[in-house]
Amino acid sequence: MDDLNDVSDAQLVMMVARFDEVALAEIYRRHGGAVFGLARRVLHNGSEAEDVTQEIFLRLWNQPEKFDATRGSLRSFLLTQSHARAVDMVRSLSARHRREVNDASRTARAGYDMQHEAWDLMLADEVQRALRELPEEERRAIELAYFDGHTYVQVAEILNEPEGTIKSRIRNGMRRMRGVLIESGVEGAER
Amino acid sequence: MIVHDDAGELLAAMALHAVEHDEAVEIEAHVAQCPRCQNELDGLRELASALGNSVEMLPEGLWSSIASRLAERTPRAAIAAPSLAPVGAGAATSVASVTSITAARAASPRRGRSLYVGFVAAAAASILALGIGLVNANNHVVFLQGALSAANVGVVQAALDTPGHKVVNLHNAQHQRIAQFVMLPDGRGYLVNSSLPVLSSKDTYQLWGTVNGSPVSLGVMGRSPHEVAFTMVSTTAPSALSVTVQTTGGSLLPSKDLAATGTV
Repeated sequence: MDDLNDVSDAQLVMMVARFDEVALAEIYRRHGGAVFGLARRVLHNGSEAEDVTQEIFLRLWNQPEKFDATRGSLRSFLLTQSHARAVDMVRSLSARHRREVNDASRTARAGYDMQHEAWDLMLADEVQRALRELPEEERRAIELAYFDGHTYVQVAEILNEPEGTIKSRIRNGMRRMRGVLIESGVEGAER
Repeated sequence: MIVHDDAGELLAAMALHAVEHDEAVEIEAHVAQCPRCQNELDGLRELASALGNSVEMLPEGLWSSIASRLAERTPRAAIAAPSLAPVGAGAATSVASVTSITAARAASPRRGRSLYVGFVAAAAASILALGIGLVNANNHVVFLQGALSAANVGVVQAALDTPGHKVVNLHNAQHQRIAQFVMLPDGRGYLVNSSLPVLSSKDTYQLWGTVNGSPVSLGVMGRSPHEVAFTMVSTTAPSALSVTVQTTGGSLLPSKDLAATGTV
């Protein structure tokens, strides 16, 4: 199975389109931890995060053509889907009631390609650093939206601010984060 | 319909999945016809995903759960395996291939249910009389582990020490034993040893189980197999294991050379 270490993500997706379970297994090995990690962070629940992870990989299996390599990386694609699904679950009352605090430690796992893995995690570190450096009101709005699964309307209610203000804070915060990344030479932030 | 400026204001919130459903639908409709906003949204989504990119240890058994549902969710289609693009080939090429392949599998969703073909033997060799059929999804066997967790020596030894295990010897056309597997009563199996010759980078070994006379793919083994693990979820044990040489990426049906076979 060592052969797949040299196969690109885009090529693996092509193999998945031919019903190659091994290719899907390799994608899971490369990105499953990140997909699960994000779902767990949003949901605060390991069991629900497993459901999300399972759904995301079955979706890739059934609809590999949804991934467009010209629009971003496979990891970004999978994380976007994982986040969207987790947020859907958070927004349902039943899921919200079942949320529980979990301080499980995160462990980086040796990955498919140490360069890719290191790059992904370095980018994540840079982005998270950029988030921490944002003005408090922008950082708070983004955290409530992204990690707690609130809409900007809900964030406005929570912070007792006008909706337009929250929209602006999120937009400005994201722009500022991208600017910090570009300044620090992280190419992935440029587009 | 949302106008460009309004959509632009919401793209960041959209990338965070922080807009209401109705707004999301409108924004999606707008970006579908506005390349500038599409590009902006893609970039913001990449940024957002980096924000949430941390790696956690995956729960035990999660992959098995996913793998066991692969077959039930998708009817298998018999698709001629196209040659793979070289590693590092342009993304656009790969995407085009995915689209064409998925179109092909959508166009023939039922063909995979009961196909019977034969192994194609090497050039001078006679055709082997192995009737083979593609066992569909709901039926019997699903390859579970494969690339995920290669069986290490300890695992193999533990399997060999497990009561009720079966050792399957695979022989080539010259009746030489060139691979040995151990299978456990619960369906797991491991490669114990192999002297299968290293293949070119264009080819791979693929393992098959014969269930009710039909071959079922147990997974692609790579071009120089050393560590292979698989799980059979069939209620019917395979009567034989076989290894074929296939084009890299493997095949839904054994379509090339038979490298070795052995009865269970």
